[in-house]
Amino acid sequence: MPPIIEIQGLRKTYRRSFRQPHNALDGLDLEVAAGQVHGFLGPNGSGKTTTLRALLGLIRVDGGTMRIFGEEVPQRLPQVVSRIGAVVESPQFFKHFSGRLTLQLLAESAGVPKDRVEAVLEQVGLRDAAKASVKGYSLGMRQRLAVAQALLKQPQLLILDEPANGLDPAGIHHMRELLQWLAHEQGVTVVVSSHLLSEVQQLCDSMTIVSRGRRIVDGSVAEIIAGHSGASLSVRFPDAASLPEAAEALTAAKPTVGAVVERDRLVVTGAPEAAWVTQTLAEAGIYLSELVTQTKNLESVFLELTGTAPAPGQTVQIGQSVAVPETAAPIEVPVTVANEAEEAQR
Amino acid sequence: MNLFKAELRRIVRRRLSLIFGILALAGVVVLSGFIWAISSQGPSEAELAEAQEMADDWNMENPDYVDCIGEEDYFEDNEFYEWALTDPEYEELSHQERCEAYVGGSRASDYVWTYTFDFESEGPSMLLGVVIVAGLIMMMLASSAIGAEWSSGGMSNLMVWHPNRMQVWGAKLGAALALCAVAMIALAALAFGLLFLTAAVRGEVGTLDGPWWEETLEVLLRTGVLALGMTTLGASLAMLGRHTAIAGGVIAGYLIIGDLIVQMASMAMPMPFPERLSLYTWVIAWISGRIELTDWSDMGMNPDVMVITWGDAGLLLGGIVLLFGALATWSFHRRDAA
Repeated sequence: MPPIIEIQGLRKTYRRSFRQPHNALDGLDLEVAAGQVHGFLGPNGSGKTTTLRALLGLIRVDGGTMRIFGEEVPQRLPQVVSRIGAVVESPQFFKHFSGRLTLQLLAESAGVPKDRVEAVLEQVGLRDAAKASVKGYSLGMRQRLAVAQALLKQPQLLILDEPANGLDPAGIHHMRELLQWLAHEQGVTVVVSSHLLSEVQQLCDSMTIVSRGRRIVDGSVAEIIAGHSGASLSVRFPDAASLPEAAEALTAAKPTVGAVVERDRLVVTGAPEAAWVTQTLAEAGIYLSELVTQTKNLESVFLELTGTAPAPGQTVQIGQSVAVPETAAPIEVPVTVANEAEEAQR
Repeated sequence: MNLFKAELRRIVRRRLSLIFGILALAGVVVLSGFIWAISSQGPSEAELAEAQEMADDWNMENPDYVDCIGEEDYFEDNEFYEWALTDPEYEELSHQERCEAYVGGSRASDYVWTYTFDFESEGPSMLLGVVIVAGLIMMMLASSAIGAEWSSGGMSNLMVWHPNRMQVWGAKLGAALALCAVAMIALAALAFGLLFLTAAVRGEVGTLDGPWWEETLEVLLRTGVLALGMTTLGASLAMLGRHTAIAGGVIAGYLIIGDLIVQMASMAMPMPFPERLSLYTWVIAWISGRIELTDWSDMGMNPDVMVITWGDAGLLLGGIVLLFGALATWSFHRRDAA
């Protein structure tokens, strides 16, 4: 099945008087498969919103190609827009209109049946607040209204920029269930740009991470996390005095294995498998009390990949993320660890 | 068509539209009520008798008038009034009227404080004023509707639904123009009805014959077209500036400062007909049909006259509206939606 969204070599440069031009997109590639929830991640200023705006025809690009449902956009956007629901950046509405009227006007403008308005209000949990003017809505309620308007058309592709922004925990949970239901039960392809990495980790099937307007990595969420977790093991002993002896035993048995003492534990890397560690230590007469496989979460993988992990006493500045060489291919993700990583994710 | 209807509904449902609509209706009602209050169908017999008495009292205290009344050959015998004999109207007046006119006697009419609203002569200018006010209101509403959508992010939202920008711009402008036309016709019809009723009950309707209707409708039609042009200009400026305040600022800036600068420059530059630099001159020419500018700079007896017809004014004003409309269209088509 061809990808729902295909972007290749997308470029966008903002030229400003008396200032250096800014490459918001620098040859970005993106592919989103059908029926998935796809996370689109990157540090602030990495080009996520610019990409989504370009995809929806809100801004012109300086190079590259974009396709949605196989149709080239923005040229053929009018032909496919009825199949796309989108919320880009923080949604704004006329303050004095009610939530219902806001949706009714949009539905009327596109010939969407009126009963869809009530259906989506119910779907996003705004049924009882539909009569109130948007002025009195909280940020979370506005976010729900924005998602409601994106759902009005019963889209086959849903593009949401920070959909969880401003939502309370119950709202985030509801939104996650709604989007997963749409993708997995209704076959809607969902693209979500978000900074809530724990949320993305729970919500998304696949993802693309970008930095400075280029793709760093893409693939299934589980594979990416697993691919960057490494085979790191944490080993503890009944007696901390055993730590140097255990490290020596492991490195002697296999020189490629790394064993570093960290406080009251030993961190082992490069071991073929956990059983080899227990066996080698037992043969050396050292008995362990705990052995844990260390798994990274999406946040640590993201920080590592984008180079935005904060150092003590330093603040990460906007645009201070990792630069991807122009010729670099996306990071390959090992497929074999998928099951293990999925389990870890659960 | 769906988009046009939705845009029409959007602009009608705005709170500012409601406020301006109520103010405009109230303005027409207050204007009619005020005329109703001050107009009457001429003084009563008692008022006329009282006024005549006051005029007589005043004249009796004026020795020149008393002398004039008392002497039939007052003007022929008095060298100070030789000029009156050359007045073409002199022969047509009675002696008392001559004394009142040339010596300064009071008449009953000087003491009758009544106003009679004459629909035939005063109605058209009032209707014209109502249509211009409707146009000004729609210019503000159109610029506000588009400016607010830009500044709130609603425009981007709409473009996500309707990527064909020309369709969006056409629907928005069309909705503003349609509302302007409806508002003008409704307000003018209401004003016509109320003023006509006022004239019928409290004043004079006059003769509303064919030529009157022709002339009145011609002026109102041109004023209506001007109002539509103003609406287009307001919408275009808001589309260009992407903010209501920018459109309002440009219009207010021109109306207050721009025209002042034009007038100062015209005074400083030795040029014939400096009034032609002011847009107001062309607007007046468009509404009234023609305007004559006179150049007195050579102090001669036969000054140069420049005639501006409604056709000339239409070309200039239409050109300005078209220019800004085209710029707004180009800008909306080309620029990124921030």
